[in-house]
Amino acid sequence: MNHKTQQIDYKRELEAASKSMIMVHEPKLLIRMIIRMIVQKVQINHACMILYVPAKDTYVLTISKGERGIKIPEGFARFDKNHPIIKLFNEKQYASLLLNKSAVLTQDLNKLIWQESILNGNNGNQKLLHDVGDQMRMLNVEACVPAKYKDKLLAVLLLGQKRDSTHFEKHELEFFAALASDVAMAIRNAQLFEGLKKESERNHDLFIRTVIVLGRAIEAKDKYTHGHTERVTNYCISIARQMMDNGSASFPDVFFESIYIAALLHDIGKIGIPEAVLNKAGKLNQTEMEIMQQHPMAGGEILKSLSELKESLDGIKYHHERYDGKGYPYKLKGDEIPMIAAIISVADAFDAMMTDRPYRKALTKEEAVEEIKKNIGSQFHPLPARALVELAEQRKI
Amino acid sequence: MPKLLIVDDEIDIREFAKNFFKKRNIDVFTASGGQEAFEIIESEKPDLVLLDVRMEEMTGVELLKKVRDTGNNVKVAMVTGVEEEETVQEAENLGIIGYIHKPLVLEELEKIVLKELNNN
Repeated sequence: MNHKTQQIDYKRELEAASKSMIMVHEPKLLIRMIIRMIVQKVQINHACMILYVPAKDTYVLTISKGERGIKIPEGFARFDKNHPIIKLFNEKQYASLLLNKSAVLTQDLNKLIWQESILNGNNGNQKLLHDVGDQMRMLNVEACVPAKYKDKLLAVLLLGQKRDSTHFEKHELEFFAALASDVAMAIRNAQLFEGLKKESERNHDLFIRTVIVLGRAIEAKDKYTHGHTERVTNYCISIARQMMDNGSASFPDVFFESIYIAALLHDIGKIGIPEAVLNKAGKLNQTEMEIMQQHPMAGGEILKSLSELKESLDGIKYHHERYDGKGYPYKLKGDEIPMIAAIISVADAFDAMMTDRPYRKALTKEEAVEEIKKNIGSQFHPLPARALVELAEQRKI
Repeated sequence: MPKLLIVDDEIDIREFAKNFFKKRNIDVFTASGGQEAFEIIESEKPDLVLLDVRMEEMTGVELLKKVRDTGNNVKVAMVTGVEEEETVQEAENLGIIGYIHKPLVLEELEKIVLKELNNN
């Protein structure tokens, strides 16, 4: 009767462990839970897990619980591929020794060695089994349970002696094997997850670098704007941060990426403008001005198929709108203008003022800041404009 | 019986290593820090010291220097992390019989210790 209730208990523990496994992307947390649970519920003097470390191509005893002096300290010992316990579970040639066995027990080793001597003579298997026995004695271990995914040994669960000095029972060993298989699955999932994360990071990195290259392509055409894109991008990020710091806005993290991309690409529509207009050494006539003022719209057209860039697109399309509605090309007004565009507008104008143009000399930074101040509420949205003035006053730009 | 002193500020390591070597008929002493170790080296005159490099109050190398400054030539094997190349160099200049990187292979640790103690 007692025996039966214990079995049910294990089953519940196992289910609980499996459930948490789904939630845990860090398999070490799960393993720590399992080891702690085994030591407590099965009442053994120590238990630990050896984990494969791909970067070092070796196995390290990573998680350990139990009585001090008997438990093997975490991170202290490593088990190379030629270690007998690792070899036994990892190398195909020994698979026949473990037939139908989910664990290797010290009390089974002598029987196994005897069987080998009768069946196969001296083929090296006996020596390995002897070595495994020596190792298990050295580590005070009564049972070794492998955790494998396909043919790959991912971890080994080592179990000490039960406190009542009895041997492990069949249902206990089945329980350990199920836990080991959970562990293997958790490690495998974590590896897959890690791989996906890395791939997605790589893709994202490539995307950002492509955006930067596109931004440079625009600059290559427009000889007046060398370095302009990079400076505007930096101002935009600083202004958005300042707006967060002074409490006038609260942007989510993704906003910073959106404005970064929008600022890098804000002038991409200039690609469609003839160089004769773009680089003209005098004031533009009416027709040329109209062509020039199309560039925010043209930029929007170029990028509109990239649905991921929706928020950035707003920044590109509306960066020449004015707070008083006198901007171009859409003539939006006040809060109709998305904040991302209002920020780019201030940053863009601020940098343009400090650059020589065919029709005027560059302003100093102090003069440019004064000019921004003068146009708060007319050309510029008050919040980003004030943020820029604050940054200048604090000498942060 | 040969005498071994284990110096490590982690109690789990001290206790495990103590049991590990006691079984091999070695008289094992442990110390959790540099000062305690220094006193045991003076009083017990161990045949070999297993010395952890990274310890809070006094590093393994500092202890080693202090011991050598008194003219004591006790045999010392260092236990180090992989990233501590410079420290190993410093320790070698002060005279050690060898070092072993953590995580270590237990047989290698055993081999180093038994070889040195049997040489006595």
